Amino acid sequence: MTYEPGDHVRVLPSEKPGHVRTPDYLKGKSGWVESLIGAFSNPEELAYGLSGLPERHLYKVGFRQADLWNDYEGPAEDRLYVDIYEHWLEPEERGTK
Amino acid sequence: MSGVHDMGGSPGGPIDRDQHEVEDWERLADAINSALGARGLQTTDELRRAIESLENYRDLSYYERWTAATERLLVEKNILTREEIDERAAEIERRWSRP
Repeated sequence: MTYEPGDHVRVLPSEKPGHVRTPDYLKGKSGWVESLIGAFSNPEELAYGLSGLPERHLYKVGFRQADLWNDYEGPAEDRLYVDIYEHWLEPEERGTK
Repeated sequence: MSGVHDMGGSPGGPIDRDQHEVEDWERLADAINSALGARGLQTTDELRRAIESLENYRDLSYYERWTAATERLLVEKNILTREEIDERAAEIERRWSRP
């Protein structure tokens, strides 16, 4: 699965153990693909001395701060952008940008 | 939660923004990690994984985590044994404590 800028995505609510590069507070949260950063060896495998191949797409993913935090009091237009690997994302039909 | 390090977004109180001088041993810890990386003996991802798996993570400072994790990786990869590291550390300790 490859995503395009503007695609609505959800971060997998995975409890995968070991070294992961997806912060806990984003798991299960919805956002959108802002841009493709590139393709890189998978750090979750590099962390254990493996090759990390094939390379995985890394995306800059945007989130509404209000979607991440309970009782968020900042401006409604506040956004958070986080680098997330493709295998941590799933497509989502709806979503708000 | 993927580990003790994965604390982003959780209530943490105020952040200590004080700066401190980098100590010599901290520069050395950084240099050793660069050298291990340049030799292909250790990757940043491995170091991160080892740091995250430290049982006493919260008790250690930033570079203490680096050194503890590096020791763990060197033993794990059979580059050094824990006995070799302990012997060398004891030798340095003796040298430093000499009057």
